[in-house]
Amino acid sequence: MTVTPAAPEVVLSVRNLCISYLTRRGRLRAVNKVSFDLHAGETLALIGESGCGKSTINLGLIRLLPPTGTIDSGEIVYRRRDGQTVDVRGLTTGQLRQFLWRECSMVFQGALNSLNPVIKISSMIYDTAAAHGMDKKEARDRALDLFQKVRLDPRRVFNAYPHELSGGMRQRTLLATALLLRPQVVLMDEPTTAVDILTQRSIIDVLKRLREELNFSVIFISHDLAVAAEIADTVATMYAGEIIEMGPVAEVFYRPRHAYTLGLLEAAPRLSVGREELHSIPGSPPDLVEPPPGCRFHLRCRFATDECRTTPPPLTTAPEDERHTVACYHTATILKTRQEELARD
Amino acid sequence: MTTFTFILIRQMPGNPFSIKVEQLMREQNLTVEEATNRAGALFDFDPNRPLLEQYTEYMGKLLRGDLGKSIISSEPVMNMLLRFLPWTLFSVGLGLLISFGLGILIGMLMAYWRGSLFDNVMTAFASVMYGIPDYVIALLLIIVAGVQLRILPFAQMLGGSTPGIEPGFRLDYILDLLFHAFLPVFTYVITSLGGWMLTMKSSTMSTLGEDYITVARARGLSQRRLLTAYIGRNAMLPLVTRLAISVGFIVGGAVIIETLYQYPGLGRNLATAILVRDYTVMQGIFLVIAISVVFSNILADLLFGLLDPRVRLGKEDAS
Ligand SMILES: Nc1ncnc2c1ncn2[C@@H]1O[C@H](COP(=O)(O)OP(=O)(O)OP(=O)(O)O)[C@@H](O)[C@H]1O
Ligand SMILES: [Mg+2]
Repeated sequence: MTVTPAAPEVVLSVRNLCISYLTRRGRLRAVNKVSFDLHAGETLALIGESGCGKSTINLGLIRLLPPTGTIDSGEIVYRRRDGQTVDVRGLTTGQLRQFLWRECSMVFQGALNSLNPVIKISSMIYDTAAAHGMDKKEARDRALDLFQKVRLDPRRVFNAYPHELSGGMRQRTLLATALLLRPQVVLMDEPTTAVDILTQRSIIDVLKRLREELNFSVIFISHDLAVAAEIADTVATMYAGEIIEMGPVAEVFYRPRHAYTLGLLEAAPRLSVGREELHSIPGSPPDLVEPPPGCRFHLRCRFATDECRTTPPPLTTAPEDERHTVACYHTATILKTRQEELARD
Repeated sequence: MTTFTFILIRQMPGNPFSIKVEQLMREQNLTVEEATNRAGALFDFDPNRPLLEQYTEYMGKLLRGDLGKSIISSEPVMNMLLRFLPWTLFSVGLGLLISFGLGILIGMLMAYWRGSLFDNVMTAFASVMYGIPDYVIALLLIIVAGVQLRILPFAQMLGGSTPGIEPGFRLDYILDLLFHAFLPVFTYVITSLGGWMLTMKSSTMSTLGEDYITVARARGLSQRRLLTAYIGRNAMLPLVTRLAISVGFIVGGAVIIETLYQYPGLGRNLATAILVRDYTVMQGIFLVIAISVVFSNILADLLFGLLDPRVRLGKEDAS
């Protein structure tokens, strides 16, 4: 998938976003100076180990952090269809309620618990519509249409209680509900981790079709590099709360320049290649209350030098592709290592 | 259950029959035989017959809806139960509904605004109230409000209704009933409110952590809808069982309060019956308690089914 030469406009622009949680041990900086742009129709995949702050970014973007979490600094600017820009951090509670779902909706991690167990799917749809001034008839028609599009039996699901649906059906229901108000941005937090491989397959196909048809942008969180590679235009690798490498999907996966991205790729199984060795990354992610000095990854990095241990590497742009940015001192060595590995296979 | 109470009551010390026999012998100089016959005729009951025989007779009559007659007043026990039960059901039921409703509402808001001044004040209030037994509240009410401060027209508020007032579906009679029920109902509300508030608060706290609440917020739902259909309804589920269990304890819980306020319900009559060893009345009241416990379990199931679709089985699955 290639981004069209005349880059489409930016719908969501995030600059230096910092989010922390108050914990018993002190302030835990879960997201540190994160910046990115999301273009119209673009899908950005956020990948990284468990606990690196992916869900926190998503919750921060729609200001639904738990009470212990706060956005410390940074900008979140959203551009509406009519061209007006919205400063998401500056929205009042009432404005935020209007903004949510209509402009930016979300499919959460864990579909099983995302639905209120005591009301029917139809009530959930009507509640959502009522909150945004869509009338019942329109909401119903639109929901049935979307259920059809995500390959559900529309009438049955519409009149069902959540417990009457299987995990895969609930996940599709959530996907359809996310599109009810025609948002420009949909945040998806591991929408396919809880379901089996075939269901995952079909959800991804459905998502790709819907995206073409309705042209929304997606931030797609995933552990699964293969899924990310398939669905995303852009990939951002996160480590310990920071985006350490970001760029077009082919660039990042075939020409990684950060040791952590390289590690992730080496750890990912690929079905197409029979007898390759998989390597896990030694060690575990750092403590986010007191992060290590220098590059946060240096303790686990086989390329680390003195420089890495003292000074955090600045974000640099790759010479081949200006959209590919990386925060590492050893980009050339890592790129070479990956090329050799690929050539060996 | 009936078997158990039957045996239990008969094992209690101070058999009224022998008391009466002794009394007759003392006062009228009768022989043991004469006194026994006289007392037997008086009580329409012979406690010296073998237990098993008494029991078969009791159960046989019970199945026909005959609970026997009061040993003391000779009034059919069924009549007494029907006369006193409505008072208890009315006062305790009203108290239970008010405290449950208020407790749910306040507890939910405490959790929703946790850490706020409202939450702190209410938590302190609930914890204190939760620890004070109901009779202490009743005594405090009587002494402080009734006797010392004279804010309440205490003497007139005792009893079930003003003597001489004619019962009927009229406003003045209903107001009179409420006026007299105020003290017991208020006491029930005050003593159980704290428990409901604290339970609802903790239940709401765990509901607030559920994913579907965050998702509902993300959908931009109005605060009111969020609080009722999403938070309240789910947080209430575990409390419904407790509510139903409380219904089972309506009569048992009313004994002290009804005695203190001279409220003419089953609880006060149980206390009197125990004092004078009126076996048949005691049996009748215990039977009511047993039935209400069974009934409360059925009620719990019904309510649960109404509120939680996951237990509403088999109804629509067939179609
Ligand atoms: N409510 C919270 N209070 C305190 N710390 C939290 C809270 N939620 C998350 N964290 C911490 O913030 C960091 C980032 O968590 P987050 O859930 O964003 O990770 P994630 O990348 O989504 O992980 P996963 O892939 O497992 O979902 C973790 O170190 C986690 O321990
Ligand atoms: Mg997560």
